Amino acid sequence: MKSTESFRLSRSSIAIMVLAVMLTLVAGCGRTEDAGTDASPASGSGGIEVTKVAVVTPEKANDFGWNQMGVEGVKAAAEAVGAEVIVQDGAGYGDITPIMNQLATEEPQLIFAWASGYNAVGPSMAQQLGIAVTSADPGDESVNQPQLVQAIEEHAEKGAYLAGILAARMTQTGTVGIVASADDLNWAKMGGGYIAGARSINPDIKILYVQIGQAGYADAAGAKRVTTSAISGGADIIFGFGDGSSFGMMQAVETAKAPAGADKVYFIDVIGDKSSLDEKNIYLSSVVWDFSQLNTEIIESLEAGTFGQESAYLDLDNGLKLLQTDLIPDDIWAEIETAKQSIIDGSIEVPLTVSAKEVKDLIAAGE
Amino acid sequence: MDSIMSADFLAAVIAGAIMASMPLLFAALGETISEQAGVLNLGLEGMMLAGGYAGFVLAYWSGSSWVGLLAAILAGIAVSLLMVVFSVRMGRDQIVVGIAILFAMQGLTSLLHQVQFGESYPRLGEAAMLSIPGLRDIPVLGILFNQPAVVYIGVALIIIVGWIFLKTNFGLNIRAAGWKPVALDNAGVDVIKIRTIAVLVTGALAGLGGGYMAVVTAGIFVPFMTHGQGFIAIVIAMLARGRSTWVLIGSLLFGTALSIADGLQLVGIEVSTDIVNMLPFVFVLLALVLFGRQSYLPAALCIPFERGKR
Repeated sequence: MKSTESFRLSRSSIAIMVLAVMLTLVAGCGRTEDAGTDASPASGSGGIEVTKVAVVTPEKANDFGWNQMGVEGVKAAAEAVGAEVIVQDGAGYGDITPIMNQLATEEPQLIFAWASGYNAVGPSMAQQLGIAVTSADPGDESVNQPQLVQAIEEHAEKGAYLAGILAARMTQTGTVGIVASADDLNWAKMGGGYIAGARSINPDIKILYVQIGQAGYADAAGAKRVTTSAISGGADIIFGFGDGSSFGMMQAVETAKAPAGADKVYFIDVIGDKSSLDEKNIYLSSVVWDFSQLNTEIIESLEAGTFGQESAYLDLDNGLKLLQTDLIPDDIWAEIETAKQSIIDGSIEVPLTVSAKEVKDLIAAGE
Repeated sequence: MDSIMSADFLAAVIAGAIMASMPLLFAALGETISEQAGVLNLGLEGMMLAGGYAGFVLAYWSGSSWVGLLAAILAGIAVSLLMVVFSVRMGRDQIVVGIAILFAMQGLTSLLHQVQFGESYPRLGEAAMLSIPGLRDIPVLGILFNQPAVVYIGVALIIIVGWIFLKTNFGLNIRAAGWKPVALDNAGVDVIKIRTIAVLVTGALAGLGGGYMAVVTAGIFVPFMTHGQGFIAIVIAMLARGRSTWVLIGSLLFGTALSIADGLQLVGIEVSTDIVNMLPFVFVLLALVLFGRQSYLPAALCIPFERGKR
């Protein structure tokens, strides 16, 4: 009797769990698209012909952020070289080995593994499957393997420097804020660039820094709370680093009472372009990461046989840019453009900070 | 540091504390009722997510935060029916069912959000506020009297639940269902019915907590936005041991610590919010070690009730 009851209990328990897991998986199912044309580029010496590429992202590609920019960048690159695209978005942050194996059956020549969390599995699967993969933000040149693994990095700090100039020119209170969702390498890079850019305009500018948590990427409520605190501390320009949490930051900026001395609070975003969602004219700009050109160059390098020889960087001359909006006066934009050229030609050097602590130290050093 | 220590800043720290406390207060109050009735509701965060999603959708469509919060309550009740059917009525494992509810709601709300709002990410305006004339103008502390109206409802619920537990037969029956269900059954009270009501009320309060988070705090719903709050609420309920005032104190302490940590960061003093997030779990571990499980949690917690079985 007892054993029968145990069996019944576990069977129904399993059924419940299976139902729950199925619902979870349904939320993350991907899709396949054919964005290609009939033409295929000829392969170069030592290279391979690329007719099909795949991209795997941890979250859905409609987040106006990292995932969307990644998928759009791969689609644009595939179209540029006449290749087909397989999009597998919403793959989660766990082990993507089954997904990689499934993708391999579609026989792509290159898989864009679009998350730093995939950097252990991706190269390992590349070895097993013999398919070239990219590695997102490994922070290490040694990850590169010729014609097998290509590291992608971003000089995000350079775009943030331009955002700092914009903030310093637009602030009315003389205080600007940084709200970070997590202790993240790219957030740290941009924090340092932003501080340097702002201080290049006003060395005495006050910079407030607040972080939601170690991994508050989706914590919209926490973002609202800390952003509101930063605004009440006098910041009238908020530079926000987040994914889902960015919307909490925007909501805080939209609903907050402007600090003394300011008419309004503005928001500067990162990675994606949410200007189409801005109904209250608070979206001042964004440090946009457009991977179209870089991904095209990466596909072409695979065809040319130079893939994986050194890390590929998103930079101001190949897709990293500050978004121009109607809220930015022409004279300030002209100044930003000048600074951009100076960074590209090397006459302005942007400092590199690689942790939240370094960002805070940089703030403290200027006070 | 002094330059940002204005009255507005200090008021914002207080407002931040309330903002961070309220979802926990509602959810932990609900979990207290459930735990005292003998049902460990690990699906609390799933109910919060359901409430957050439904609350946001209805608040967005109707333009009323009250409609949104009502929808959040109903969504929480609807999800808690799963707990009622599988765990209370069918006697299935409460932990398994609770975790299944959490996963299911994470997936479902994420999916629905993507379908409906994945391209637009609409945001709500400010929720309905209740300002108390005169008191709201007090420097710094005036913010306590200029809050979303649902905050005052939360405080009232603490008093009401405390009164029910201490002064009514129904409150006594709830606690008996968790501590001595067989004795309650022998006294002629339907234990299953008491546990059913307790779980449904828990769903309503957890839904309200999620609704508060989406409608009042963030003004938006994003997938997975509860960010572990349901589990923190469970721990607060365990620490409260059935006393609603302790739920209030625990929630406020947590929210205040979080908001102070934010404030200290802004003035350049590093206090990790992750340490604050960790504290309730440390406290409950300490409490369990110090008091022992049997005397600390209801004796029949997690144990299905079946008439005639001891």
